[in-house]
Amino acid sequence: MTALTVAGLSAREVGRRRTALLLVISLPLWFYLVRRDLTGQSTRMLTLGIAWAVSTLTLFVVNSARGVDPRLRLSGASVAGIIGGRLIAMSGFGLLLAGGYLVLVGIDQDIDRFWAIALMMGTTALLAAPFGSLVGALLPRELEGALALLSVCAVQMLADPAGTIAKFMPFWSARELGTYAVDGGGADLLWRGLAHAAMVWLLCTGLTLAVFARRLRLARYPEPAPERT
Amino acid sequence: MSDWPLRFEAELVRLGVRPERARQLGAETAAQAGEHAADPDRFFGPAHLYARHLVTELQAPTAAVPSLPGPVMLRLTGVSKRYRRREVFSGVDLTVRGGEVAAIVGANGCGKSTLLRICAGLTHPTGGDVRRTRRVGFVPQDGGTAGWLTAEEHFTLFGAAAGMAPRKARSTGTHLASRLAWRPGRHQPVQDLSGGTRQKLNLVLGELHGPDLLLLDEPYQGFDQGSYLDFWRQVREWRDAGRAVVVVTHLLHELEDVDHVLDLGAHGGGDR
Repeated sequence: MTALTVAGLSAREVGRRRTALLLVISLPLWFYLVRRDLTGQSTRMLTLGIAWAVSTLTLFVVNSARGVDPRLRLSGASVAGIIGGRLIAMSGFGLLLAGGYLVLVGIDQDIDRFWAIALMMGTTALLAAPFGSLVGALLPRELEGALALLSVCAVQMLADPAGTIAKFMPFWSARELGTYAVDGGGADLLWRGLAHAAMVWLLCTGLTLAVFARRLRLARYPEPAPERT
Repeated sequence: MSDWPLRFEAELVRLGVRPERARQLGAETAAQAGEHAADPDRFFGPAHLYARHLVTELQAPTAAVPSLPGPVMLRLTGVSKRYRRREVFSGVDLTVRGGEVAAIVGANGCGKSTLLRICAGLTHPTGGDVRRTRRVGFVPQDGGTAGWLTAEEHFTLFGAAAGMAPRKARSTGTHLASRLAWRPGRHQPVQDLSGGTRQKLNLVLGELHGPDLLLLDEPYQGFDQGSYLDFWRQVREWRDAGRAVVVVTHLLHELEDVDHVLDLGAHGGGDR
């Protein structure tokens, strides 16, 4: 119940930051428009834009809750309830954002394996929330976190997709799934992409929970012994 | 003619006095000022502050009934805290029972807030023994709220953490807020509240789940005089209800009302 309440209220909180929300929603559009003439490039860039937008928003949501979380723990909430609730909200936002841009791609581009484009954008949106959350957990100050995300996204875009460095990037799966969807590669691309995405999701979610479990741990004190009268 | 009596009556009603009683008190107060041929504003001070003062006086027990201290809610024995080579305090002893108020005082940087966080379990002590009751409410000096959520949404959130149904959490929060002479706005995000009102929210959130032990870190920051009086009245009510209260304070003139004073001093110390 705590997770659902945290999710609902996190969504409301994000919804009220209208200017930030508008900027975050429009960010992937610029990525898309720059390479609109090339189907493969534009959809992959759009997907990376979604990843950057969702992870940055998650980072800020996680950081803005730093003062509230310890008090929620003292009131009885579990770490999984607090962090899980926030991840549910931000993953939901990511899927909505991806859904909106999927409609745009469907109208604007001619793609045979459209379902694979949906898979690429959906998995990337789902990866972005725990990734932003992990960066927020490791770098609790907003500026440092935002710069770290910027660095990761820059390397992700600039690294040779076939090289080793790119494979260590969190959104490498988008490249594999995008190639399968647009360039018509074999099923091995699809499975490799999904396996990478699953691994990154597990790693980011697990590490986020581990970091917060340590940060939000409460000292366990015994109750005072009853006195003899 | 001055509208002081009207403002006075309105404030009394807002603080929970019945309208007829408020009217009667307003008339008596105006007559009292009239006897001295003085303007009530100059004679009694601002209407809202005098109304709060009067309500506090009216609610004070007529005869002090000493109550027996309850079970131990918090016991610190030889507690110390060290950050790397710097020792914040050492050998701190304190026992607080239900129905008692303890104050932690001391100079800036002597570790008052750290000690309170240790009592809460948010910070681990370096040494010593801490025993405390399970149900604890913690009110930080500042922060501790989400700026874009409303007060009611905070009640829902903190209520959910404590296993309360949303409606019950909201009604409990609204009721507790009224005892601090505050009526939360339905659509006002917390970041738009004044500093004092945010602290009232913090106090309500600390008490929402009905803790046996309340740990308050200078919770009256930003309070006006009326709210400050409301706060100490609330502390006395908690004590009378058998709860234990530990409050970090700089205001030494309130120490007459507390049962224990822990002076951490410049290097840490013991229970007076």
